[in-house]
Amino acid sequence: MKKFDGLNYYEILKIPMTSSYFEIKRAYKDALSLYNEDSIVTYSLFSKEERDQIIDDIKDAFSTLTDDQKRATYDQMLVDSGQVETLIPSMEKQYISNPLSSTHTRVNEKQVYSRVTEKLLMEDVKTLSDEILLKERLSGDDLKKLRKAVDVKILEIQHITKISTSILTAIEENQFEELPPDTYLRSFLKSYAKILQIDPQKVIDGYLKTISLAKKADDSNPK
Amino acid sequence: MAKIYPIGGGKGGVGKSFITASLGALIAKWGKKVVLIDLDLGASNLHTLLGMNSPKIGLNSFLNKTVKNLENAAVPTMIPNLFLISSFHCYMEIANLFYAQKLKIIDAIKQLPFDYVLLDLGPGTNFNTLDFFLTSKEGILICTPEPTSIENSFRFIKTIYFRKLKQMMKKNTFDSVFKDPSSDLNGSGINPPDIIEVVLKHDSGKETFLRNTLSEFKFKLIFNQFRNNVDATLGDQFKDICNRHFYSIFQFLGNISYDSRIHDAIFSKILYIHKYPHTQSAADLKKIAARIISKIPSASFGKDML
Repeated sequence: MKKFDGLNYYEILKIPMTSSYFEIKRAYKDALSLYNEDSIVTYSLFSKEERDQIIDDIKDAFSTLTDDQKRATYDQMLVDSGQVETLIPSMEKQYISNPLSSTHTRVNEKQVYSRVTEKLLMEDVKTLSDEILLKERLSGDDLKKLRKAVDVKILEIQHITKISTSILTAIEENQFEELPPDTYLRSFLKSYAKILQIDPQKVIDGYLKTISLAKKADDSNPK
Repeated sequence: MAKIYPIGGGKGGVGKSFITASLGALIAKWGKKVVLIDLDLGASNLHTLLGMNSPKIGLNSFLNKTVKNLENAAVPTMIPNLFLISSFHCYMEIANLFYAQKLKIIDAIKQLPFDYVLLDLGPGTNFNTLDFFLTSKEGILICTPEPTSIENSFRFIKTIYFRKLKQMMKKNTFDSVFKDPSSDLNGSGINPPDIIEVVLKHDSGKETFLRNTLSEFKFKLIFNQFRNNVDATLGDQFKDICNRHFYSIFQFLGNISYDSRIHDAIFSKILYIHKYPHTQSAADLKKIAARIISKIPSASFGKDML
């Protein structure tokens, strides 16, 4: 049975490195309830020793990440040991010691905007963006490829647009059955396109065309 | 090459045969050529779920060589594109299959010229069930959202690992200490997956090899008989825990809602999805079938959120 071998504190709590105090606390509560001896999912999976070890690790993760000083040292250690590439610039001054301040300031919209602008100046990224927009039909894969090329993370889009990650993922993974009605979808696609700095109308038209074709293909098969 | 999906999962009565029949019918409707093989040896009744009388031709014909190959043992069902290899007319003691016969069946399954082969396995973790499950690198685990069933699913995964490791040890040279791990392990109370840790300590050269072999497995999970009062995220929790603490890839295919009419359908020998095509459970089944043939990519592999 693998325990938490090789996982860092963020991975143990399943949170991004940019998480706020509230997010860490929620993740901590979730983890405790998941590995609790009464949890229907895990009660039969671990021995008492294994469970105690796991709970200890979770508690260590929580106490380290909710202490600004300890967290900064820990993050630096992750960088120094090469476990993460670099600290996201916006993280540096944004550890929130006061839990009452907003949790959404972590992602800086301006910084995302300038990062995308910068990326789009690179020739290969520009070419990719142009090629994708020239397509008559756009799939989630196209959007995902472009998002990765301009180095924007799903969570950043979620923070800026307030669209849930599950919907964003469903869009990118072409899980059409999971998507909201068209009216909402249009507005979501528009927000998404704006962050990637591409023509929203083309994205909406292209994506909806893909959906309607997929539906047609589905309908033409016998029910 | 056919996609082979063994359908198993520890506990009896969780709906393995029902799901096999339903998924088979749905996949066949999408124009794929599907064969269901009833490998619940000695307790086969897949034909009844499909609304058929027990077919005369089946696994028995293959074993006693009245048909040339396993393909010829498949009989058409009432559903176009859907075929069945039944084990109903096999001799009475078929449950205790000879090892050579089992290998012959497994070998023949891998050669079947169909798009999809679904294996309906028996409950429990006896060698037949395990070896049939190991026919493919991808298998489907059926579970109900109850402690007993979840417990058995873990046991099933562990036993699959254990069986696979033993198979590998037969073929590869391992430190003799591990030649008969069962005796060692039973005494020391080590769980089967811990055998990797044990091998590590003594034979670290094999670590990567063992891990790689186990990481080639893909388990797909289905929660059946899902009632409204159960936490809807249970399936994802289960999948996450497995991905974290076992050595393979786990994908959650979805929940199938509980519906008492499923029993009515079985009584009337009409496939539920045909009798009640517009119910929640039928929609759940359809979604899962679509995920299996990758019409909808699953939501559940997504580790890449950051």
